[in-house]
Amino acid sequence: MRLKLRNVFVAYFLASLGGLLYALLQLGQPCDCRQRRGGAPDGGEGRERGAAGPGRPEPGGGQRPPGPGGPRLPPPALPPPELPPELPTIYVVTPTYARLVQKAELVRLSQTLLHVPRLHWVVVEDAPGPSALVAALLAQSGLRFTHLHAPTPPPRRPRPGDPAWLRPRGAEQRNRALQWLRDTRPAEPAVVYFADDDNTYSLRLFEEMRSTRRVAVWPVGLVGGLRFERPLVERGRVVGFHAAWKPERPFPLDMAGFAVALRLLLARPGARFDPRAERGYLESSLLQGLVSREQLEPKADNCTRVLVWHTRTEKPKMRQEEQLQRQGLGSDPRVEV
Amino acid sequence: MLRRRNLLTTLLIALPWALLLTLWHQYPTTRYLSLLKKETDENVTSKALVNGTSALREEGLPSCMRQQQSMVATRKVIQNYVYSRPPPWSDNLPTIFVITPTYTRPVQKAELTRLANTFLHVQNLHWVVVEDSPRRTNLVSNLLEKAGLNFTHLNVETPKSLKLGLSWIPSHTPRGTLQRNLGLHWLRNSFSNAAPPEGVVYFADDDNTYSLELFEEMRYTRRVSVWPVAFVGGLRYESPKVSPAGKVVGWKTVFDPNRPFAIDMAGFAISIKLILEKPQASFKLEGVKGGYQETSLLKDLVTMDGLEPKAANCTKVLVWHTRTERPTLVNEGKRGFTDPRVEV
Repeated sequence: MRLKLRNVFVAYFLASLGGLLYALLQLGQPCDCRQRRGGAPDGGEGRERGAAGPGRPEPGGGQRPPGPGGPRLPPPALPPPELPPELPTIYVVTPTYARLVQKAELVRLSQTLLHVPRLHWVVVEDAPGPSALVAALLAQSGLRFTHLHAPTPPPRRPRPGDPAWLRPRGAEQRNRALQWLRDTRPAEPAVVYFADDDNTYSLRLFEEMRSTRRVAVWPVGLVGGLRFERPLVERGRVVGFHAAWKPERPFPLDMAGFAVALRLLLARPGARFDPRAERGYLESSLLQGLVSREQLEPKADNCTRVLVWHTRTEKPKMRQEEQLQRQGLGSDPRVEV
Repeated sequence: MLRRRNLLTTLLIALPWALLLTLWHQYPTTRYLSLLKKETDENVTSKALVNGTSALREEGLPSCMRQQQSMVATRKVIQNYVYSRPPPWSDNLPTIFVITPTYTRPVQKAELTRLANTFLHVQNLHWVVVEDSPRRTNLVSNLLEKAGLNFTHLNVETPKSLKLGLSWIPSHTPRGTLQRNLGLHWLRNSFSNAAPPEGVVYFADDDNTYSLELFEEMRYTRRVSVWPVAFVGGLRYESPKVSPAGKVVGWKTVFDPNRPFAIDMAGFAISIKLILEKPQASFKLEGVKGGYQETSLLKDLVTMDGLEPKAANCTKVLVWHTRTERPTLVNEGKRGFTDPRVEV
């Protein structure tokens, strides 16, 4: 008996050793997981290359001083892969207002959006007319865009003495975008997303929202005094919301936490943002007219992943600038910042 | 009653498993295998597949991922998620090595995400991310691996004494110095002075904003190039003063314009050749006054008349020193309101 048992052990040992050696040998195989070299370029629709005109660094070595024509843009990407026509368009609505960091915010937002195929950027300025800064930026961005403007009426405009957190609401601007969408867009499969210019968006977010049928929702990071706010999902349906700031709201979401199908907006022409809504109720003022809680579509792995962050940019300190301006020596206003 | 024979048998059974477990952790390829199991992650963009034919997306996808994807693809008409790719590497363009020190805080992932989105547009860019931490964190490792960029991931922890002790003015704490020096050290180890690669080094903080033009401006730097930076020194922008002949003759700043190099970290780039030629040049930690950190490096590399002004003779602003507000996580409370397992 003892002899047999030992043979069993020996057999087991040899089998497991053999199997493990095989596995180790597999590990040793170089898996060509290098994503870096010779990768296909990102896709994207026919982009409108702006007035600046893409330059092309010459091949054939040696350093070359920059030409007199100014900076060279990177070489244009290879032609984008064919996208099926049924890929829904994403309309990104960004209200913006003039302040020091406006150009920087729009530049880095455009750099993110440039990676997303079939995207149409609708920028609405809080201004009586379109500004040259935004117009030039959009033209150069390489994105498909629409440039609108809608001034906030005086009572709601923030005044110089207001605290920093009391920022413009953007309701009138977003409503202007809704009006443009309703006036000009046919009922096609498309999604509308309200993206503020200071948030941070991961690329996957846009793919999550593309399949929206009515209203899709997902978590938002760094908002409402929390690491993230999110809808609570059970069996694929939204049953509640995990939020700490004013959780009694009908839709305790941030503007960045939902997207609406274009068809739904066109079907409900009365749905819009209420500029007189209390702080935090702006999102609810739109969503109440569109959908009920049960109809919300949870995305981002049943709302367990954070794909967008409600970052805010500090107001840059201008103490020395103000000092200089008092002396009449302020920086050249022709240099755009 | 343990007999020697039984002991030996037990040992022989346990040994191969112990071997496997130790070697598993060493091999980097296994990390890719584990990544396969996780769903493809946040910073990816989608291409649609029609009826599972995925010919277009094959290039650039690592071969191990390809099999996984094609198996799942056949079912849905619109499939998604491939990594966004930078433009193809060119052998004729100088490389831009971007050194970014970073540290763990709530906005870190957001900052690195949007920075990656920017860098994905730049050709021949190699991102050197240096964490201020005792170990490389999973958050940064995963982000870098999924971004699709050429990268190097380093870490070095700033000792607490250095963080607090050097200056009583918090704004002058030399944050990121050790990390940037480690980046320079890595460059010097990776390339030899005998055959220096064509390229530049740029120190890019993770909260600034960079235009794509900036990278093309700096690419052909011969020694050290400089340009204006917005929102520093309490001004709309600080810039070098450039003579009509195209030479840097001073600094347009209010804060101590008599510094040898009155320029922000984001306002200059150094050619690799110069870094390799002068191996002792690095940022100083001791005895560096506020605003002199850049000088502590540049003085060993170049003099003012050797600087190359870019951005149309320093009249255009191509980089903004933006700073992100610290989010007030007041509602988290003592025990944390939100699930700590969800990465933010």
